Amino acid sequence: MPGRLGAIDYAVLFAYLAGMLWLGLWVGRRLKTGDDYFLAGRRLPWWAIGFSLVATDIGATDIIGGGGNAYRYGLAQANFEWIGCVPAMIVGAFVFVPFFHRLGIRTIPEYMERRYSPAVRTTLAVCLLLFMAFNLGIMLFASAKMMSGLFGWNTTVCLLLTAALVGVYTSSGGLAADVYTDVLQCVVMIGGCLAIVGIGLAELGGVGPLFDKVREIDYSRRGGVDHTALILPADTSTPFPWTGIFFGLSLILSPAYWIGNQAIVQRSLGARSEFEAKASFVAGAFLKNVIPLVYVVPGLIALALYPNLADGDHALPELASKLLPVGARGLFLAAFLAALMSTVDSYINSASAILTLDLYKRHLRPDADEARLLRVGRFTSVGVMAWGIASGLAMGLVEGTGVYDAFQTLMAVFQGPLLAILLGGALWRRATARGALVGFLGGAATTGILFTLNQKPVQDALGIWPLFTVASPYLYYSIWSFLVAATLLVTVSCLTPPEPEEKTRDSVYRRRTA
Amino acid sequence: MTPLHAVGSFLRELLLGVPLPAARVLFLMLLSVALVWVVLRGPDPGENPERVKTLKIWAAAALVIQILIYTLL
Repeated sequence: MPGRLGAIDYAVLFAYLAGMLWLGLWVGRRLKTGDDYFLAGRRLPWWAIGFSLVATDIGATDIIGGGGNAYRYGLAQANFEWIGCVPAMIVGAFVFVPFFHRLGIRTIPEYMERRYSPAVRTTLAVCLLLFMAFNLGIMLFASAKMMSGLFGWNTTVCLLLTAALVGVYTSSGGLAADVYTDVLQCVVMIGGCLAIVGIGLAELGGVGPLFDKVREIDYSRRGGVDHTALILPADTSTPFPWTGIFFGLSLILSPAYWIGNQAIVQRSLGARSEFEAKASFVAGAFLKNVIPLVYVVPGLIALALYPNLADGDHALPELASKLLPVGARGLFLAAFLAALMSTVDSYINSASAILTLDLYKRHLRPDADEARLLRVGRFTSVGVMAWGIASGLAMGLVEGTGVYDAFQTLMAVFQGPLLAILLGGALWRRATARGALVGFLGGAATTGILFTLNQKPVQDALGIWPLFTVASPYLYYSIWSFLVAATLLVTVSCLTPPEPEEKTRDSVYRRRTA
Repeated sequence: MTPLHAVGSFLRELLLGVPLPAARVLFLMLLSVALVWVVLRGPDPGENPERVKTLKIWAAAALVIQILIYTLL
């Protein structure tokens, strides 16, 4: 049953939204160049980027879908914030972030052209655009689902309102607006979710009783998932066997995300110095330690209090609508919107950067000046938002798929191959452009084939058994796509002539020299 | 059964033979290797050693917290 908002809730919500809009527009009033728009003029401080990295990573899909997975599968979901982030962020901080910052690039596809070829750049740019555009749809759909569940509002109206609000300040203020609003959004997000944790734990009597209650529920279900275990067996029926978490998440998806995702890397490229870029990643890694409190613990609290929900994705909305008093609901909704907006604004800006710099400037108007890039950037931001709205509305047609799983499956298509060619390019001088192109496309095709073969109608038609025994095996997709991409990269590179020395001189990693 | 199924079954059987405590050790090893790497890594030429040292302390702290989490939970 939807909860009702009181006057205080509306006041909290309105104050938050008005504050975001004002801050975004205020930051955006001084932009003059494309560099200002896409990299905040390379003047961002480490602390703001650190908060922004975390806020960008924790989106509506995490609050709804991640919370839902914690409800369904338990504490193992926390791996996505812990071993699935911290080690990769630390390695990224000391190796890749300063390397990219030194190169002075603006996008990851731009690095691919410097290291490989224009074809690799364009292919990756198109794939990243597709990923971000559909991701936007998933995030907007998740927000509409949440608001609809919480308040009984119309989902389409919720989706359009959120998109319009984020679209206005992002198209106006660019990366600087995104990062500074992210700082506030991160604080609101953590604060709002901690409120629900505090009230939930008080209701249950503390952490000990929470775990006792969850164990009691597991025991009564006889043979179900152990919701209190962080590491699950290889034959678990959940999407989180330790094999997938270790090999797929911590060694492939996580490094690919933290050193290859444009929305993430772009922030560190906007840092005012190489040291601040490094420090931002370290700060983000430190903050990551507490993030499971934001949505994993609430998922467990929802399980303890309401163990019979039909859909795990309703766990946090249910918790908020039934547990929170009037006044606190507004804060929780603000926290949810903060998570949503901080991720949506980042993807809009990054998609716009790729459209403007890697496609428009690279192929259509190589002579475009900075003022023109700023105008095109703003225009494409609006276009990306419109695409996000359309795909968000289309997501409603496939409701029933876990939101988080949909997001992760989409990530798995490109992340494994991207990591293979990124690592190959940055660390192996012999990697060639042809090897990278074949590797990337082969890896992405591998995910596509595995995904298709894992669909029940396809298995029935071909008369084959399922290839994977776990639910939503996106972690395994990423392992195989990475392995195929890496194998193809190495094989084709060895069969083709090496890249000229002037091409690899600066674009292959080496520690800074005096 | 296709060749893909055969490969999958072989790997599944192999990994099912790994006991869960050994899997936990693998997680801890990854974090420990990262910690040792951070601690031993010296500053790049031209970097301020004091600032890098501060950065390394925070990075190490983040990893130590991770090691504690994966040891206790």
